[in-house]
Amino acid sequence: MKLFWSFTRQAFHNTVVYRVEFWIRLVSILLAMYSIRAVWQTLYTQRPDAFGLTLGQMVTYGVLGMALHAFIDTGSEWYIATQVRTGAIDTDLLKPIDFHVHMLARNLGEMLFGMGVMALPTYAIGYFVFGLQLPPDAGAAGLFALSVLLGFLVQFHLGFLLGSVAFATLDIRSIAWAYFAVISFFSGQMVPLWMFPDGLRAVAEILPLQAVYYIPMSIYIGTYSGTAAWSALGFQALWALILAGVARLAWHQVHRRLTVQGG
Amino acid sequence: MIHVEHLTKDYRRVKRREGLFGNLRTLFSAEYEPLRAVNDLSFDIAEGELVGYIGPNGAGKSTSIKMLCGILVPSSGRIEVNGLVPHKNRMANALQIGAVFGQKTQLWWDVPVIESLRLFRDIYKVPEPVYRQNLEMFNDLLGLHEFRDAPVRQLSLGQRMRADMAAALIHNPHLLFLDEPMIGVDVVVKERLRTFIQQVNRERKVTVILTTHDMVDIEKVCSRIMIIDHGQIVYDGDLERIRERYGTTRTLVIEFEESVPDFDAPHARLVKSEGRRKWFAFNRLETSPSALIAHISARYPVADLAVEEPDIEEIVRTVYRGGGPQEAAR
Ligand SMILES: Nc1ncnc2c1ncn2[C@@H]1O[C@H](COP(=O)(O)OP(=O)(O)O)[C@@H](O)[C@H]1O
Ligand SMILES: [Mg+2]
Repeated sequence: MKLFWSFTRQAFHNTVVYRVEFWIRLVSILLAMYSIRAVWQTLYTQRPDAFGLTLGQMVTYGVLGMALHAFIDTGSEWYIATQVRTGAIDTDLLKPIDFHVHMLARNLGEMLFGMGVMALPTYAIGYFVFGLQLPPDAGAAGLFALSVLLGFLVQFHLGFLLGSVAFATLDIRSIAWAYFAVISFFSGQMVPLWMFPDGLRAVAEILPLQAVYYIPMSIYIGTYSGTAAWSALGFQALWALILAGVARLAWHQVHRRLTVQGG
Repeated sequence: MIHVEHLTKDYRRVKRREGLFGNLRTLFSAEYEPLRAVNDLSFDIAEGELVGYIGPNGAGKSTSIKMLCGILVPSSGRIEVNGLVPHKNRMANALQIGAVFGQKTQLWWDVPVIESLRLFRDIYKVPEPVYRQNLEMFNDLLGLHEFRDAPVRQLSLGQRMRADMAAALIHNPHLLFLDEPMIGVDVVVKERLRTFIQQVNRERKVTVILTTHDMVDIEKVCSRIMIIDHGQIVYDGDLERIRERYGTTRTLVIEFEESVPDFDAPHARLVKSEGRRKWFAFNRLETSPSALIAHISARYPVADLAVEEPDIEEIVRTVYRGGGPQEAAR
């Protein structure tokens, strides 16, 4: 546990260095929040009943997606790919710590920091400026927090997997682009899954990506509650476990290759 | 402390094919050719030794050090580091060793040095008093306090090496592997690092392997040197013995009373001629300075003379070339 906090502290120092980048990110998130609200408002004035939610819920969904985006993606794939490509992975393997645990600690630390520094301000601005609503009750808020944590685990392991698999190609940029396109769509970050055409929706529902945005946000706005919420959490936990297992297996292969053949 | 027996490491290298079609074929079905980086290496290092590990580029130094760290798995042979097999117990081994790879830093690029050290304290679970005590030592001996709050990317190479040295020792390891820690470092810092390495070795009984290209490091710091070439040990012993065995070439410098034409003397070779001075190289097993001087002064009037011992750099170069005592004479 102490290790997570040390990594959080490191993330803090990292961000202090990139102050300008921090402000640029903050501003771009706020712009995205503004435009997503504008889009829904326009759509609602034209067809108020078409979406099955109140405008308030819909705006909350969109704006919250941006606030979550501010911290849930810690970019573990870049770190792994860079370390392997530059050979700096040697210094990671010099440490008395399992690489997967190391990465988890590092990214969880960064997420905690991002939550405090990015997500809270954007959330507050979303609430006061863009009409972000509070969750229906304290129970939903608690489940939402749990769901975000599980969503982070899913996101982290997908990144870890991407980084480990893509190391064979050395340059992960093209693969990463495809991955980002797929995740921002199928995770329901912008548009909730129930608005998808049936075919796409069926795909989205079996993919683990909905665990990252769609499930936590549905719990937050109250479309998932009670048993539905718990079973959604179960879905997230199951995927987090599966992906963790697959990520460890993939890393095992990478590690073997690195150490036996000398990357 | 370290036991290495018939250690071999083969890398796999993608075989390049010529031309466009060759490139395309490489893309789909790469052919590999093995490259033997370490070849049947055996040695033992006792606790508290300070061993200079030298050899030309590509000799296999880094590869063997990585195997000692458990980062690479040997192709064959045995390694034991303080009772552990590194690649089988990578994490346990990591606790008892520290390492500096001169080419890459293990510190975080963007955060202050002290923050990286704090993180390592947590990763290695170093007790607070030990951590404090070590920091104090690093302040005294490495001047860590001068740059501890700067991020690594702003440090000079010398400062970075000092910071990396601190990082490698923060957890009181029993062994220290230094792979070219002096690279690009100025003379003053070099001297400081040398003193530091010696002190750590003597006072903390840390066993050290030091890889370097600077023979001054070896002469000043090491009690034993291992020379490796093409993945094999070509010399293992102390400096005295290497001088005796390979350092048989002497140079006789003679200043004549007036300038004289170039000439060769028996068993000696004229290597340099400058004004009234000439340099003759000879092997002390084949002739003696007195015989040589007698021969020369019989022909031309000699004003002054001196006999120069070979420096260690020259000797090592001889060893790299695979030259024994005979070859050194030529
Ligand atoms: N990862 C690798 N893959 C393939 N060949 C390598 C790799 N690392 C080193 N080599 C080769 O192995 C040999 C030994 O390298 P190295 O151990 O780095 O030598 P040194 O540290 O003594 O300069 C060299 O020929 C080098 O090109
Ligand atoms: Mg090397």
